[in-house]
Amino acid sequence: MNDRTADPLHPHARDLDPPAPGLSRFPPVERWDDWEEYDSKAWPKRVPRRYSLIPTICFNCEAGCGLLAYVDRQTLKIQKFEGNPEHPGSRGRNCAKGPATLNQVQDPERILHPLKRAGKRGEGKWERVSWDEVLDDIGGRIRKALVEGRQKEIMYHLGRPGHELVYLQRVFHAWGIDGHNSHTNVCSAGARAGYAFWHGFDRPSPDHGRARFILLMSSHLEAGHYFNPHAQRIIEGKMAGAKVCVVDTRLSNTASMADYWLSPWPGTEAAMLLAFVHVLLRDGTWDREFVRRWVNWEEYLLHERPDAPVAFEEFERALGEIYAAYTPEFAEAETGIPAARIEEVAREIGRSGGALSSHVWRNAAAGNLHGWEVARALELVVVLMGAVAVPGGTAPSAWNKAVPAPPMMPPPAKVWSELLMPREYPLAFFEMSFLLPHFLREGRGKLAMYFTRVYNPVWTNPDGMSWIEMLTDEARVERHACLTPIWSETAWFADYVLPMGHASERHDLMSQETHAARWIGFRQPVLRVALERQGRRFDLTWQAHEAAGLGQVWEEDEFWIELSWRIDPDGTLGIRKYFESPYRAGEKLRIEELYRWIFENSVPGLPEAAARQGLTPLEYMRKYGAFLVEDHVYRTHETPLSPAERLGAAVDPVTRVAVKGGSAVGVEVDGQLRAGFPTPSRKLEFYSKTLKDWKWPEHAVPTYAKGHVHWSQIDPARGEMLLLPTFRLPTLIHSRSGNAKWLYEISHTNPLWLSPGDASRLGVRTGDLLKVETEIGHFVDKVWVTESIRPGVVACSHHLGRWRLQEDAGGERWSTALVDMQRLGEGRWRLRHIHGVRPFASDDPDSSRVWWEDPGVHQNLTFPVHPDPVSGQHCWHQKVRVVRPGADDRYGDVVVDTNRAHQVYREWLAMARPAPGPGGLRRPLWLPRAFKPDASTYRLEP
Amino acid sequence: MRYGFVIDQRKCIGCHACTVACKEENQVPLGVNRTWVKYIEKGTFPDTRRYFSVLRCNHCDNAPCVTICPTVALYRRPDGIVDFDGDRCIGCKSCMQACPYDALYIDPETRTAAKCHYCAHRVEVGLEPACVIVCPVQAIVPGDLDDPGSSIARLVASQQVAVRKPEQGTKPKLFYLGADEASLRPAMQEGSDRYLFAEASRIPVPGEPNVAGRAAPAAGDGVDLLGMARTVYDVAHPERPWGWKVSTYLWTKSVAAGALLVAAIAAIDGLSFAGPVAGLAAPLISLVFLALTAALLVLDLKRPDRFLYLLFRPNRRSWLVWGGWILMAHGLLGTAWLAAGWTRSYMTFFALGWPGLLVAAASAGYSAFLFGQAEGRDFWQSPLVLPHLLVAAVTAGCASLLVAALAVSGDARVAEGLRMALWFSLALNGVVLFAETFTAHATQDAARAARLITRGPYRVRFWWGTVVGGTGVPLVLLVISPLGWAAVAAAVLALGGLWLWEDIWVRAGQALALS
Repeated sequence: MNDRTADPLHPHARDLDPPAPGLSRFPPVERWDDWEEYDSKAWPKRVPRRYSLIPTICFNCEAGCGLLAYVDRQTLKIQKFEGNPEHPGSRGRNCAKGPATLNQVQDPERILHPLKRAGKRGEGKWERVSWDEVLDDIGGRIRKALVEGRQKEIMYHLGRPGHELVYLQRVFHAWGIDGHNSHTNVCSAGARAGYAFWHGFDRPSPDHGRARFILLMSSHLEAGHYFNPHAQRIIEGKMAGAKVCVVDTRLSNTASMADYWLSPWPGTEAAMLLAFVHVLLRDGTWDREFVRRWVNWEEYLLHERPDAPVAFEEFERALGEIYAAYTPEFAEAETGIPAARIEEVAREIGRSGGALSSHVWRNAAAGNLHGWEVARALELVVVLMGAVAVPGGTAPSAWNKAVPAPPMMPPPAKVWSELLMPREYPLAFFEMSFLLPHFLREGRGKLAMYFTRVYNPVWTNPDGMSWIEMLTDEARVERHACLTPIWSETAWFADYVLPMGHASERHDLMSQETHAARWIGFRQPVLRVALERQGRRFDLTWQAHEAAGLGQVWEEDEFWIELSWRIDPDGTLGIRKYFESPYRAGEKLRIEELYRWIFENSVPGLPEAAARQGLTPLEYMRKYGAFLVEDHVYRTHETPLSPAERLGAAVDPVTRVAVKGGSAVGVEVDGQLRAGFPTPSRKLEFYSKTLKDWKWPEHAVPTYAKGHVHWSQIDPARGEMLLLPTFRLPTLIHSRSGNAKWLYEISHTNPLWLSPGDASRLGVRTGDLLKVETEIGHFVDKVWVTESIRPGVVACSHHLGRWRLQEDAGGERWSTALVDMQRLGEGRWRLRHIHGVRPFASDDPDSSRVWWEDPGVHQNLTFPVHPDPVSGQHCWHQKVRVVRPGADDRYGDVVVDTNRAHQVYREWLAMARPAPGPGGLRRPLWLPRAFKPDASTYRLEP
Repeated sequence: MRYGFVIDQRKCIGCHACTVACKEENQVPLGVNRTWVKYIEKGTFPDTRRYFSVLRCNHCDNAPCVTICPTVALYRRPDGIVDFDGDRCIGCKSCMQACPYDALYIDPETRTAAKCHYCAHRVEVGLEPACVIVCPVQAIVPGDLDDPGSSIARLVASQQVAVRKPEQGTKPKLFYLGADEASLRPAMQEGSDRYLFAEASRIPVPGEPNVAGRAAPAAGDGVDLLGMARTVYDVAHPERPWGWKVSTYLWTKSVAAGALLVAAIAAIDGLSFAGPVAGLAAPLISLVFLALTAALLVLDLKRPDRFLYLLFRPNRRSWLVWGGWILMAHGLLGTAWLAAGWTRSYMTFFALGWPGLLVAAASAGYSAFLFGQAEGRDFWQSPLVLPHLLVAAVTAGCASLLVAALAVSGDARVAEGLRMALWFSLALNGVVLFAETFTAHATQDAARAARLITRGPYRVRFWWGTVVGGTGVPLVLLVISPLGWAAVAAAVLALGGLWLWEDIWVRAGQALALS
């Protein structure tokens, strides 16, 4: 064939300039304020467009990746979001959800003004109200509750956190309430508890980029905390020669990239991990010196083997004995993974020499009764390898995070809310959030003011129908305000729907343990910043948004300041003073003053870095959007105590813990005082005296216990299977991405994964319907026959199955089915699809091109609550019966019995071992708790 | 300078960030994609693996889309980027047939062709394409292949890279590193009507909304699979850029060219040139069907308002342009012929005989070269396409003139001659048709397309419609009943069979997935 390089030249091609050598990834930062490039749609006509490039932070998953908003200087429209090259965690790159932020900002379905319900709660009648009206009503109610001593009746329930963890602690402690409720116990409390019992920190921070072996009980090449930053570094490690092992019952994209995919029977993962431990101990390929220095083996021997000498050799012998039974063959029998494969992976781990990075976040730790032991067993492997906080290893999270202190931190509140932390769950790692409907049903209290913020319990939590019953009961929940950028199933049952901004429409400070460094990222309302650069001034962000044509979309930071002033207008409650300017005495705090103060006073190195560029710290952060506080953070536990820290510290002669002013500050190791870990022993707690003291002696050391969906509990002859309902997709994020058309175009259904053998047993093929019966109801889904799932297990992905109750309101039409919700009888509910996703008319011509119809099936409604008695984590996996549907069953059907759901709650509640623990406490004082109230509240009144 | 991409499938995690970043940068509507990620799976539990592949324009050095584009809307820049100019595009969709990689689509807003253009508007200001900078794992490597120091050139030089469909000779500049073979070869993939997190969808009419459902034929449809890979995620692709208007255009053109061709042979041979069949009916039929042909061509354009761009912004290497000129010549000659017939100008007939023959043959046959430029469609690359079109034209000419002869003139000598000619041409047409379907094919895809006709979804129409109804029955009718209604029926059946064959041929040629 001819070479056609001499093709007819288009007029444009003829007058191309000779190309410049090399291309850059991003416009140079000095030109961000006024960047010119060509309009992509008019191309090849050269139509120049001028932009202000303003950094912000993505608001989809929790990774906090940097974004760079291209704000058109003329139209004030955001043209696109790219990555922020100055961001140390994401390094200018994003996953699909980053650029899809544009869909969320430009979504024609979004809520632009505060709404108040007009009819009954849940009836779907709304009227527009002003922010003033909202603030006066809510502020008045809160003030009344505070004045009347009903502090426990104010609750703020949050889905997607961020810097608010500190910001809100400031707010709620200023109000004197114990009112922060989170989503964590339907998410990560299991893994958090497992890690915290080891080292006091609740997350792992793997250093994947330098690892020699990467052991993932997660799917970090497609989802999870922190997908994009971790994926970058996992692949870096892999390309540098690291072996990757992924443990996941279904074949994730991550598993597909691995050298080893291990698919255990769900809930048996700890058996496999302890078999790794068995092999490491047997082969002697573990780091004795690290374990000798940093594990609390003396404590173990003192309490568990009081007759033996306190010598490390004794502990070695004990270790061998404890894990003697966990042979690869035992693990094969439990997990279904061949012993030889387990042996091979264990040997590879043994060869990693401490460069072992690992992660578990939800997955097995969130699926099973005792799931927290999965994280504990995984960390045992890490500890044995001496891979703690070393290059290529796995560090505790907080060492790789920077959480700058805000001004004027109020003292902790002197209130303990048992609606959050009931006495039955003294070790629960976070609030028992998903049990709230049952607590209220049992008469444990009521709520005068209930906020939900980017939180969709009706859809996301197990047993959503009980949430609807709770939310529609105005005696139990007197006022419900939903703070959300978009409609959700939960917002429908609110009194106020308050539009809060997306990624580019709010202030926040982010920091995440993405790698062995510490950084902060600054989320900012880019339209306000752009307008202010043009010389405009605004008191509040919603006013700037109104000026830019974005309705009255606001941001929480300012909402809380305004609300606090309405609660305490004259300062007599002692609240107002925390919301006054640190720069103008007695004046109301402006949001930029808050961040100015933080950047000037709480971020080491930032004022100097800014000064070098002739900028104030706030100007620096507005320009770059991120700051690297410290790089290459390793071995923080080895930090010697400074002379000042040592001064006045007393070393306990037995435990060698250094105590100063009543709190432990370090530990003596080989004669040197070092910082250690924030545990009672200041060491890594192989032996958890806490668990023993709080009535769980059988879990004092990392162990494996059969969970609630162990294979021995499941009878295939009765059509029983295990449902794995938790896995995520690379493109979606919980119930927050239904407003992103580009993401929904890629993924919109959640068929039931079924192995070919099970499919032929049931006589179904891909596309056929199956009915999945849980303890409290059933759902009907289509089948996806696949070799990517273990036989006997069915799997159904999270995120999909969104719905709305009205044709033109209450849910994103890009992603929801219109459903009919019927009460079939006392506590009996049925949800049935009326129609799926359809094209619709809007300002966006794409809405008429929506071609997908199937929005998936809402499975979570059919799950009862399964609170783990130790971690408080909801145990997601379900034992189900999978059968052919009957004549009356339709695709998408969900049928639920909430009375039965309450019974299951009572069954699981009976497994708890309630407080008090030692000293008459509700909870161990050392154990982390979000928004920790005053120590005086820990004592349980007799 | 030659810009290209390396897609490092050792790193790609199948996250779709490139897809979305491209949609954002280039404001690509729902339903179509400039770059996308396909998933396939291989193996059985627990040794299952999923493979990802990033697919898009290959920025070929030897780009068939540039060659076939009649209006230079597609063009190769001196830096190697294959760019496009929507303002010049007439929406003929020929680029979609020429590209072996499924890279082009019709934008539903502008109704013009579009594809990945290496973010040329960004390159112009010194920036890398949007898909490159978003990629979390830096699996997309851009750069100048001619610069030996560039990382892309070093990768291509030092690593084992693969391209899609190297046999097409397109010299693609999209190189895959560490890709699984099955993920780059659609023939090794089994399709599905739904995917692991999405419905499957197709684009029945380019420029119109997608429809949920299966696109390409799968196993059991007569397609032999060459491997065991299962497609578990893909985006929508144009089902059939050319439909009934194009197959009908081939048929009306056969009639138009054939009527003139047969009359020209008669004129050269000195047979009954003064008669009303050759002098009036032939040019009239030819001109009417030529007008229909032109109308179909214009109607099939997504931008019919721009059809004159063919003349005013021509790409002389495109057979679409040559076709336009040939059809114009055909029109002029037909008009002259009609004038000569009307005025009974014998001398003019003598003079028009040879030009008429050449123009009519060109008119009938040029499409073989046009379909030959549709390099994405292997089935159309056969050397038998030219004979197929010429014989079909003669057959159509004989059949239509036979009907005219029987209807308008009672000249039995002319009708008898046409009957004989029709019999022989129809028989020959059958031979060519069989040869095209059953003889050895140059590529696997061509053979698979042929099997779709003989054993797949087109088999009923082919065997009963084309072979029996359109060939066998008229041959018999022409023998058993020399003239009269049976001959008319035979001619009509033959014409119907010809249309059906063109339609099957056009559809089957596009039936196999390109990506």
